[in-house]
Amino acid sequence: MKAIPIPKDEIGKIADVEKSKGLKFLRTASPVTWCPGCPNYSIMEGARRAVLNLMKQGWKREDFIMVAGIGCHGKIYDYININGFNALHGRALPTAFGVKLGNPNLKVMVFAGDGDNYSEGMEHFIHMGRFNPNMTLIVHDNQGFSLTTGQATPITQMGYNKSKAEPYGEVHYPMNPLKLALMTNIGFIARCNARDFTHTAEIIEKAMKYNGFAFVEIIQDCIIFNTAVNGRDENMYKVESKKRTFDEALKLASEYDYNSKDGKIPIGIIYQDDSKIAFDEKFPPLKKLKEQKIGWRDFKRS
Amino acid sequence: MKLSILIGGKAGQGINLVSGLVSKTLIHQGYFTFNYRDYPSIIRGGHNFNILTLCDKQIMSHETTIDIIVSMDELTSSLHKSELNKGGIIIESASYEKFGLNLNVALAGALMKILGFNHDVLIENIKANKSINNEKGIEAATAGYDSVQVKYNLSSQKKNITIMTGSKGLAIGAVNSGIDLYTGYPMTPSSALLHELAGMMEKNGHFVFQAENELSAVNSALGASFAGAKVMTGSSGGGFDLMTEALSLQGTTELPLVVHLAQRPGPATGLPTFTSQGDLGLALRAGHGEFPRIVAAPGTPNECAEVTNELFYLTQKYGSLGIVLTDKHLLEGEYSYEDAPKKPLVVKVDRKVPGTTGFISKVSSYEQGEDGNVTEDGSVVIKTQNDRLARYEGMRKEIKDKNISMYKLHGKKNSKNLIIGWGSTCGAIIDSINKGNLDAQFLQVIYMKPMSPDIKKIILKAKNIILVENNLTGQLGRLLRERFLIAILKQNRILRYDGRSFTPGMLIPELKKRMKK
Repeated sequence: MKAIPIPKDEIGKIADVEKSKGLKFLRTASPVTWCPGCPNYSIMEGARRAVLNLMKQGWKREDFIMVAGIGCHGKIYDYININGFNALHGRALPTAFGVKLGNPNLKVMVFAGDGDNYSEGMEHFIHMGRFNPNMTLIVHDNQGFSLTTGQATPITQMGYNKSKAEPYGEVHYPMNPLKLALMTNIGFIARCNARDFTHTAEIIEKAMKYNGFAFVEIIQDCIIFNTAVNGRDENMYKVESKKRTFDEALKLASEYDYNSKDGKIPIGIIYQDDSKIAFDEKFPPLKKLKEQKIGWRDFKRS
Repeated sequence: MKLSILIGGKAGQGINLVSGLVSKTLIHQGYFTFNYRDYPSIIRGGHNFNILTLCDKQIMSHETTIDIIVSMDELTSSLHKSELNKGGIIIESASYEKFGLNLNVALAGALMKILGFNHDVLIENIKANKSINNEKGIEAATAGYDSVQVKYNLSSQKKNITIMTGSKGLAIGAVNSGIDLYTGYPMTPSSALLHELAGMMEKNGHFVFQAENELSAVNSALGASFAGAKVMTGSSGGGFDLMTEALSLQGTTELPLVVHLAQRPGPATGLPTFTSQGDLGLALRAGHGEFPRIVAAPGTPNECAEVTNELFYLTQKYGSLGIVLTDKHLLEGEYSYEDAPKKPLVVKVDRKVPGTTGFISKVSSYEQGEDGNVTEDGSVVIKTQNDRLARYEGMRKEIKDKNISMYKLHGKKNSKNLIIGWGSTCGAIIDSINKGNLDAQFLQVIYMKPMSPDIKKIILKAKNIILVENNLTGQLGRLLRERFLIAILKQNRILRYDGRSFTPGMLIPELKKRMKK
């Protein structure tokens, strides 16, 4: 556990700091070890911009915290300079939920991979709609395990033949995380294209402002392993931001089956239900912390 | 003066209600009680019984020979008749069946008369109990009272006695430490603490979260600890196994975490509602990699409160894992006391947490460099690992400074016979020494890790060592052998592993066989 002072040249008016530090603002000095050309760079830029935009709107930098899982995506913990917890593989969600229980005033963004979230961490993901903690999950979905050198995840298309663990090739049906999110009652469901960091930043910002659990899936190429599904940009189209019924959202979510390169891939906010009550508004002890704008550490019991 | 009362019947008939009402009345009359609960994993039906022991002196165990059987169904009297002491009596339910749901209350009334107490206190306790219909309950209790003759004529004593279970003790210890968050998932017997703390939530202002599983419970506890909350989580058997991955995460992150391991007989689902001390080895080793931890096993409800508070204090100060080890017998056994737990240590969260102005807080499951980011630099890893182990030194000093009892000695000082035990067997061992007037000293080990070096001296001074454990392989014995190179002879190990706790009735002859004159 380390507490590091915020760099002196990053304290002051945000516009000025942005001007002087440019793309290095909110970044650490750690060398980035993603493969050259990996779309993770652009996801990171989207996330950085979202934080920056929210800071410009008055959110305090010290209140942001990211929780990351383990996999290529998890390295983002080393690169964006905000509070962070690099959790265990599959456990980013419960760890982040705990952070929120420890201080409901923190702005929690969770990063996970598709193997991380849908394989090892599925048991947590499907409960998020129930609990509805006020935090944002961003899944880097490249339809494969990459850091462990190319095995199949629950999202990998059938026929993927490079998995070292499956000599017969991938024979399992992929799941559709967006449909699953709808079925498990998640109130904010969006999808982004990893390469479009401006749009990603915009969606993450909206997700962070959503009062409840927000799920943002980012469709991403892996340029080394599961390359068969790469290059889907032309299939992607932006949906307009409007209120949709569950059935309309389900129809949109079903357009892409994660199994073929055909079919349209809608991106943007697929579903948003503003009537749900967030977890920390359901319980008096947590409500008190929110009212007083503090965490448990500074809470005085009468 | 000591009496054993067995109250038996089907699950759902209100056995605990009878033993609860009677215990409350008895402590009011100045008697110590100990209530043992024996029940299968069944919601309705089956055969459950409690053995309620009353005594004019402090008592912490039960016997399986009975003076009074309160039989709420025919099975109870036929099953337990053979356990009746000479002159013992059976109160049969048959003549009280007209009271329907209040059968149990009528039997409680009859029992009070047999013991020779007036029934005012019982009536007060019935009035205070929200689960009993007042009018009908009082009618049933009075009718029960009038239906039998006084047999024991016990006189009242002036004492201020309270009833406490181990789970209540743990909860008090957590509240005394300023607990903010308890996370858990239902599993017998650890649920007892989940329920206690949930019940105290509103009054104390902490929060209890029932997670989707134990993985979530322990990981969210660590997340909350990072955010600055004082946290505790807990489970039993397989539920604790699921948590072990995150115990290792505690090791790298050094986030304070108190974990309650409520042992139950395994392997696997084992005997869910019975008792065992089979998980000491698990508590000492759970989690991959090497990192410091504290493992402590209280032996009584008051010690549950004290040890829980000590673990909150030490884990917060040394960024360590603290495991408090109990079992079903201790958690659900209803003990009675005149004395209260020690004054608690004040627990403070004294570090920069996320949200601190001017700082970025970072914690990782990878080895961390000074910047909080991942490192694979061998020299940093060596330093970090050495620093982790070095924290034991600070803990030892702190334990000494704060007068924390790492072990206790009971019984006859400097006896050549030394009994060694831990956890919930303490009650039966102490009561055995007193009842059997045994020439033996009892070493109760509380802190298993770190372990007091005094223990070696105490053992070496004794001529004859006898080990008592509620498990198959003698796990404390193994730990002592590993730690001090002291082996306890196989014939001197008294081990019980049928899921039941020791009683003085069975322990005294076993101890006598092994004691030296």
